Amino acid sequence: MLDEQVLLNLAESACKNAKLAGAGEAEAYLSYNREFSAEVREGQTETIKVALDRGLGLRVVKNGKVGFAYTSDLEKASLKNIADQAIANARETAADPYRIFPSPSPLYPELELYDSAVVKTPVETKIDLAKAMEEAARAFDPRVKIIESSNYQDIEACVLLVNSKGIKNSYRATYCGVNLSLVAGEGEDQQTGFAMDYRLRFDDLDAEKIGREAAFRAVRMLGAKPVSTRETTVLFDPYVAAGFLDLLGPALTAEAVQKGRSLFMGKVNQPVAALTVNIIDDGIMPGGIASAPFDGEGVQMSRKTLIEEGILKGYLHNTYTAAKENGASTGNCMRSSYKSAPDVGTTNFFIQPGVYTPDELINSTGNGIYITEVIGMHTANPISGDFSVGAAGILIENGQLTKPVRGIAIAGNIQEVFQQIDGIGSDLIFFGGQGSPTLRIARMVVSGH
Amino acid sequence: MIDKKTLKTVLDLALANGGDFADIFVEKKITTGISAEGGKIERVHSGIDAGAGLRVLAGDMTAYAYTNDLGKESLLEIARTVGRTIKTTDRKEYNFDLRKVKPVVDFSFPERPDKVETSRKAEMVESADKATRQVNSELIKQVMVGYGDVIQQVTIANSAGDYVEDERIRTRFLVHAVAGDGAVIQTGYEAAGSLAGFDLLKRYPPEELGRKAGERAIQMLSAKPAPAGKFPVVMSGEAGGTMVHEACGHGLEADLVQKKLSVYAGKMGEQVASKEATIIDDATLSDRYGSYRFDDEGTPSRKVVLIEDGILKDYLYDRMTAGRDGKSSNGHGRRESYQHKPIPRMGNTFIAPGKADPEKIISQIKNGLLVKKMGGGQVNTTTGDFVFDVAEGYLIVDGQVGPMVRGATLTGNGPEVLKMLEMVGRDLGFTIGTCGKDGQGVPVSDAQPTLLIRELIVGGTQVSTNSQIRRI
Repeated sequence: MLDEQVLLNLAESACKNAKLAGAGEAEAYLSYNREFSAEVREGQTETIKVALDRGLGLRVVKNGKVGFAYTSDLEKASLKNIADQAIANARETAADPYRIFPSPSPLYPELELYDSAVVKTPVETKIDLAKAMEEAARAFDPRVKIIESSNYQDIEACVLLVNSKGIKNSYRATYCGVNLSLVAGEGEDQQTGFAMDYRLRFDDLDAEKIGREAAFRAVRMLGAKPVSTRETTVLFDPYVAAGFLDLLGPALTAEAVQKGRSLFMGKVNQPVAALTVNIIDDGIMPGGIASAPFDGEGVQMSRKTLIEEGILKGYLHNTYTAAKENGASTGNCMRSSYKSAPDVGTTNFFIQPGVYTPDELINSTGNGIYITEVIGMHTANPISGDFSVGAAGILIENGQLTKPVRGIAIAGNIQEVFQQIDGIGSDLIFFGGQGSPTLRIARMVVSGH
Repeated sequence: MIDKKTLKTVLDLALANGGDFADIFVEKKITTGISAEGGKIERVHSGIDAGAGLRVLAGDMTAYAYTNDLGKESLLEIARTVGRTIKTTDRKEYNFDLRKVKPVVDFSFPERPDKVETSRKAEMVESADKATRQVNSELIKQVMVGYGDVIQQVTIANSAGDYVEDERIRTRFLVHAVAGDGAVIQTGYEAAGSLAGFDLLKRYPPEELGRKAGERAIQMLSAKPAPAGKFPVVMSGEAGGTMVHEACGHGLEADLVQKKLSVYAGKMGEQVASKEATIIDDATLSDRYGSYRFDDEGTPSRKVVLIEDGILKDYLYDRMTAGRDGKSSNGHGRRESYQHKPIPRMGNTFIAPGKADPEKIISQIKNGLLVKKMGGGQVNTTTGDFVFDVAEGYLIVDGQVGPMVRGATLTGNGPEVLKMLEMVGRDLGFTIGTCGKDGQGVPVSDAQPTLLIRELIVGGTQVSTNSQIRRI
């Protein structure tokens, strides 16, 4: 079993080594993860995976120049080696007086991130969860023909951060989740369905609900056909809406703004979305998959309303971007692993729910398209905000969902989409760190035949 | 990295409870990354990630464990873990001879990146940055330049007696230019990458990559919004192969075929594309991003003809999927790292060049779209529906290349598009990418000759008002 104190001392000695090797300031980020995953298909276990993944990322500053190096090997010789590398790397970067490390935050939030049930639940029970999810999908509709994969996975993580300014902190967290991809078929026609759920607590997972949802999403698309090109009202289901929200994340970082590549540049206190839109980043949200006491450089995490009633209120900061503006970090320094140097990013990032149920939104829409799937979202341009993606969904005629539609494309600019929102659902759902309710967009170009 | 004796012990222990096959993949990956933004070198990173992934196959089940603690005790622990997961008790005939497998091709790396000073790499980044800004110092608002090299050393050993040691060196370079004029912001992107060392940058000078990215960003400022609707599309050879990758390649991966998640399932020997179409995946090509000497299961790479004159001939196999079809792997079992199990993946995928003159293909079109450069894409292999981004596109008006358009994506259906291939040019242009599947990214390249496709849906924003008039 891992000993947190031993790892903390290891991180501390990595910092000390770096100082001895000539670094002005040093920071060690150490992660130690145990992972388990199971993939089930047709009632059979296809893959079982167990893993130990640990490593240390070392960041140093010398004369305003920053350097970074990492290693998966925690032996003394390797740690010494990356200290030298990080210092050598720093030599090649441009000097910048804002390259500083934070001091300890006054008050780190106390969060419940660790559920021993994730670790203690027997492997068989976890596999049964994936099996139950698959069964629930098949029971939902006989047209569910193929289970692509039914997965369970969990991670027990320990994150430690030590720097030469006095931060020496750690936390443990557990993450668990299920996801299901399947195919429904009728005659020659085949349609795919997907659903997922990620949580901190094992008992919060509802695998059967996810199974039914994936089946529902596939079955309702059977018989889908393209429609003609038109300009129309469009509804995004929460999954699609969260995908669009994800595009805004990078643009809301101070890093993008300071570097002149954000569409929100110079727009603080100006309207950037419809009046009803509130967008929040909450690093300390109870139960949030991205919640943590401190961020990727040891600053306490926090809750920020970035867009309030359509008005842009501010940007996400880490210590570096905040120093440039003589402000304070918002606790948004993010790292994807010990191998990546810190960046600015979102935590639990979501659109605040409105008052209308999704049905009310649909019923009050005369004619339009309810979009349930997009492909190629990664091709959208996060700098200009232009996007054009393949889409599928269901036609809305006289306020009712009628025929499924596929083989269409929707295009526009992300800023215009957020300004055109004229209805927000009450059904906020999170997909990992991003969450959104159903959104209605007044007008949008849909390309078809 | 780890001696043969230990490898044998680990494999044997993993098979203690039986199983059909076991293999171990030991990897050491040394990376360097440099990036500049705002005219300054902002990041210089380097690091080492070393670990081992151990797999046992038993029937249709895979037990997999990995660790990045390469101490003997840790390796024995993962062997015991996977061994325990296997419930059968019948031990088969295993072979632990661990004899070296011979490759079909060999690659040389004239200028290894670990022999090049970091400062020289940083100079390349700086010179690309300068060249990009010089295109138009007023309109170019931001330049991002990235350099990366990876030295991946692998050792693969299995219970069929195979032993492979391999080293893959990949280098890549990319430039992203942002141009702005008033409220309009546009971008231009250019990248080079290959199974090659630092010598890559002699063949693709950073200044040239920067200039191209800068020029494209500037041109895009005055581009018109792309039309929306159905049009004939000419894909230029230099546009790269995103379409063949998305529209066809993924659907030919044997795991998706066997799960019946591909439109190409059960179609072996059938006409699945126009007679003009011959589609190949060849990981043995020298100096391509998706090349390799051995795949990640230790199978030597080879040229695989997937579709010949429109007839489906083969799928992309790894060891497990090949076994299910009673075949041998054709060298397409790849993985992102020791943390992942191998699955069927593409290498260098392309449509074989034909005979047509590219200019002549364009002259056939009255009203359509010319794709000069493609961006990223995605496919739903079950339906065959795909989408990809047009990074540089032009209208074709009366057989002539017309004004540039922006904001277009092309949406279509893989099998339908392959049937609609009408003319195939004699040119061929490769592009590079990182292909994602099941949460694993692997380096690939793809290529197409200039192609004419009778109709594709262009997802622009400009709804044509005169389409009805034209029909009259």
